[in-house]
Amino acid sequence: MATSAQPWQLGLAGSAGAEALATSGTASTEGPERPGPLQDETLGVASVPSQWRGVQGIRGETKSCQTASIATAEASVQARKHVDAEVQTEAPEPVSLPSVPRYNGPQLAAFLRKVEAMVTRELNKNWQSHAFDGFEVNWAEQQQTVNCLHTLSYPPAQGQGLHVTGVSWNSTGSVVACAYGRLDDGDWSTLRSFVCAWNLDRRGLSPQQPSAVVEVPSAAMCLAFHPTRPSHVAGGLYSGEVLVWDMSRPEDPLLWRTGLTDDTHTDPVYQPSRGEAEVGATAVAFSSFDPSLFVLGTEGGFPLKCSLSAEEAAVTRMPSSVPLRAPAQFTFAPHGGPVYSVSCSPFHRNLFLSAGTDGHAHLYSMLQAQPLTSLQLSHKYLFAVRWSPVRPLVFAAASGEGDVQLFDLQKSSQKPTVSVKQTEDESPVYCLEFNCQQTQLLAAGDAKGTVKVWQLSSEFTEQGARETELLDQLASEVAS
Amino acid sequence: MKTLVNFFPDLFQAEVEETLKRIQSHKGVIGTMVVNAEGIPIRTTLDNSTTVQYAGLLHQLTMKAKSTVRDIDPQNDLTFLRIRSKKHEIMVAPDKEYLLIVIQNPCE
Repeated sequence: MATSAQPWQLGLAGSAGAEALATSGTASTEGPERPGPLQDETLGVASVPSQWRGVQGIRGETKSCQTASIATAEASVQARKHVDAEVQTEAPEPVSLPSVPRYNGPQLAAFLRKVEAMVTRELNKNWQSHAFDGFEVNWAEQQQTVNCLHTLSYPPAQGQGLHVTGVSWNSTGSVVACAYGRLDDGDWSTLRSFVCAWNLDRRGLSPQQPSAVVEVPSAAMCLAFHPTRPSHVAGGLYSGEVLVWDMSRPEDPLLWRTGLTDDTHTDPVYQPSRGEAEVGATAVAFSSFDPSLFVLGTEGGFPLKCSLSAEEAAVTRMPSSVPLRAPAQFTFAPHGGPVYSVSCSPFHRNLFLSAGTDGHAHLYSMLQAQPLTSLQLSHKYLFAVRWSPVRPLVFAAASGEGDVQLFDLQKSSQKPTVSVKQTEDESPVYCLEFNCQQTQLLAAGDAKGTVKVWQLSSEFTEQGARETELLDQLASEVAS
Repeated sequence: MKTLVNFFPDLFQAEVEETLKRIQSHKGVIGTMVVNAEGIPIRTTLDNSTTVQYAGLLHQLTMKAKSTVRDIDPQNDLTFLRIRSKKHEIMVAPDKEYLLIVIQNPCE
């Protein structure tokens, strides 16, 4: 059989192979001496190219991604739930001692036995000791002198030549008010005048600009703040009216006025008081101990002890719709001229001071007509005298020579301890008031239309060791 | 003399009362009180609110004084406490169980 030579050549592995194939082809035609199908043949080598190491193109694709823009939105939330609650202060309960726990009787007795001797010894030593005589400790910084803290004035009032006729501190001690008027006008006056108030605790206090100003139709002669309401102030006018203002309402401060009726004082009101007298009253002071007791200073120069509970009806010149009573109970020995100011001691129920045009201040006891002491403080008039609210033996006086004088009866009973000049040209100081809350402050108003707030030295603001006893001693020097 | 609890046999009660009366009658004594270890007053000659105030405050002060003395020297201990003020002197005699407080206005 003839095997056809396969034309199959996978690679030129060798020419021998090709020859062999060629040979085999020819061999079939020539016919070697072998039988046909069992011939040895050598085929070429087949080779397969590798596909593994071939250079592959790096296939890449570009992709990108982008975060979407952040969406924001604003929303507000309000909690709507609310709950009502009430608060009520309760009156303080009187303090009661807690129930006492069981304790051992014999133990207590033993303890007392043990300590009694020691305690008794110390008590006796203390009673005789002079170890602490004259030893004083100062906890607060000592102010050595009296100096002027503020000089307050109202230029329009000063421009009219008005005097400060009354000063008053309010119940919290932070506002000082003054009344402008004239004290030397003898006739009726239709002068428009002012009542001004300065809040000293306010920042940016401007001394020429009061925090509140009220215009009044006629000269204001006297002024007093309400004892508990910090913004209410009452003033008496030259026309005889009494007005009450609320200084916290700038648009319409006027609360109340007495109006001009037949009953009103047709004589000038010189100090807000709750009573009238047939004598010309120039000054009133209520006792701090007995609210129905008051002392009147009169034009005749004699102080009168009066009581609101007097029953006797008054004899008046003109009929009046309000029944008047005659309150006078006792007449004291007179000054040499009208009394312009009286003041009852806040520490002793029987003592009061009076000051008048004779330049003297008299210290009276309610129990006798003659004054206990008479002090000449000025050669001109004395316009105001006030006891200190903290020191039982101290009082202040305003003189016609422009001085504010402070007396300490413990140091000297003849001359003032401190005398400060309020006005340079010796025009009189008409009124003064201590500040009961801030006890180092004293306000004084003068004829130049200024109110000066004085800061007192520490000796006037702290009570000494035995002042109340000394005051009692003074009061008991009543001639028997 | 205000007695707060009538509690123990008369024998000791009489002695306690007498001792306190003796102390109270000394010259210048304004008030006397006995306070227990918790600061609760047991006997007093002053009014309720003043007593409660003195008892609470002085108990605390005495404890502080005692710890001060012990801290400085652990072998030492507080025997007596005196506070002198402008107006008067307060004396405290301390003990494990009780405090005796006496207020005196000494002669100046």
